[in-house]
Amino acid sequence: MRRLPATAPDQRARPANTRATGPGRLLIVVYAVFAIAATARAGFQIATKFSDAPLAYLLSAFAAVVYIVATVSLARPGTRAFRVSLAAVLVELAGVLVIGALSIADAQAFPHDTVWSGFGRGYGYVPLLLPVLGLLWLRRTRPAAE
Amino acid sequence: MDGYFFAVLIVGLISTVICAGAAVLKKNPNDITILSVAAVELTLAVYLIGSVIRVIAGEHIAGEPWEFWGYMATALIIPVGAVYWALLERTRWSNFVLAAVGVIALVMAARMNQIWY
Repeated sequence: MRRLPATAPDQRARPANTRATGPGRLLIVVYAVFAIAATARAGFQIATKFSDAPLAYLLSAFAAVVYIVATVSLARPGTRAFRVSLAAVLVELAGVLVIGALSIADAQAFPHDTVWSGFGRGYGYVPLLLPVLGLLWLRRTRPAAE
Repeated sequence: MDGYFFAVLIVGLISTVICAGAAVLKKNPNDITILSVAAVELTLAVYLIGSVIRVIAGEHIAGEPWEFWGYMATALIIPVGAVYWALLERTRWSNFVLAAVGVIALVMAARMNQIWY
C-alpha cells in the first residue's frame, strides 16, 4: 500500500475518483437533468402517442438510457465506471451527430423531435455541447495507465 | 405566462446570478447562495399551492394534467437535490451547481405555463 503524507489524512478514505469533484459535479448535474428530462419526455411520448412515430420515440427512449448511464457512471468511482462513462459519452456524441444530420437531411423521416434532432436545437444545443465537455472532462480525469 | 411564471423567472434569475457570481469569486457555498436556492424552492411551493387551489376552484388545465404535476414534482425536487449535492462537496464548483437550479426552475415554469394554458 502506498504511504500517504500525514498532512492529508482525509485523502486516505477517499476512493480514487476524481470525476465527481470540482467541475465534474456541474457536469453530472447537467447530465442528471437531461436524464430526467429525456426519460420523462420519452415516457410521455411512448405512453400517449407511440404509434404516431415509433422510431422517433424509440430514439428518445434510447437517448434517455444513454443519459442515465452517463450520469450514474460519471458519479461512480473506479476504472470500470470510467470506461462506461467513456462509452456512454461517445455513443451520445455519435447519436447527436447522426440524428442531428439525419433530421436536417431527411426532415420527412424525423417529423417528431427527439432530444438529438437538429443537433439538440430544441434544448439550446446543450445536447451537442455536453458530450464534448464530457470527453474533455474524462480526458482530464482519466485513470493512470495500469 | 402568468404571475407564477414571472415570480419563478425573477427569483430564479436572481438566485442564478448570486450563485454564479459567488462561484466566479471563488467562494464556497454559503448561507447566501443556499438561501437563494431555498427562495426558488419556496416560490415553486407557492406555485404548487396556488395551482392546487385553482384546480379545486374548478379551473381547467388545458394540457395533460399529469404532465403538469410531473413537471411540478420534478421542479420541487431539483433545488433540494442540488443543495444536498452542493453540501457534500463545499467547493466553488458547487455554487455553479446551485446556479443551475434557477435556470432549470424557470425553464420548467415556462413549460408548466404552456401546459396549463
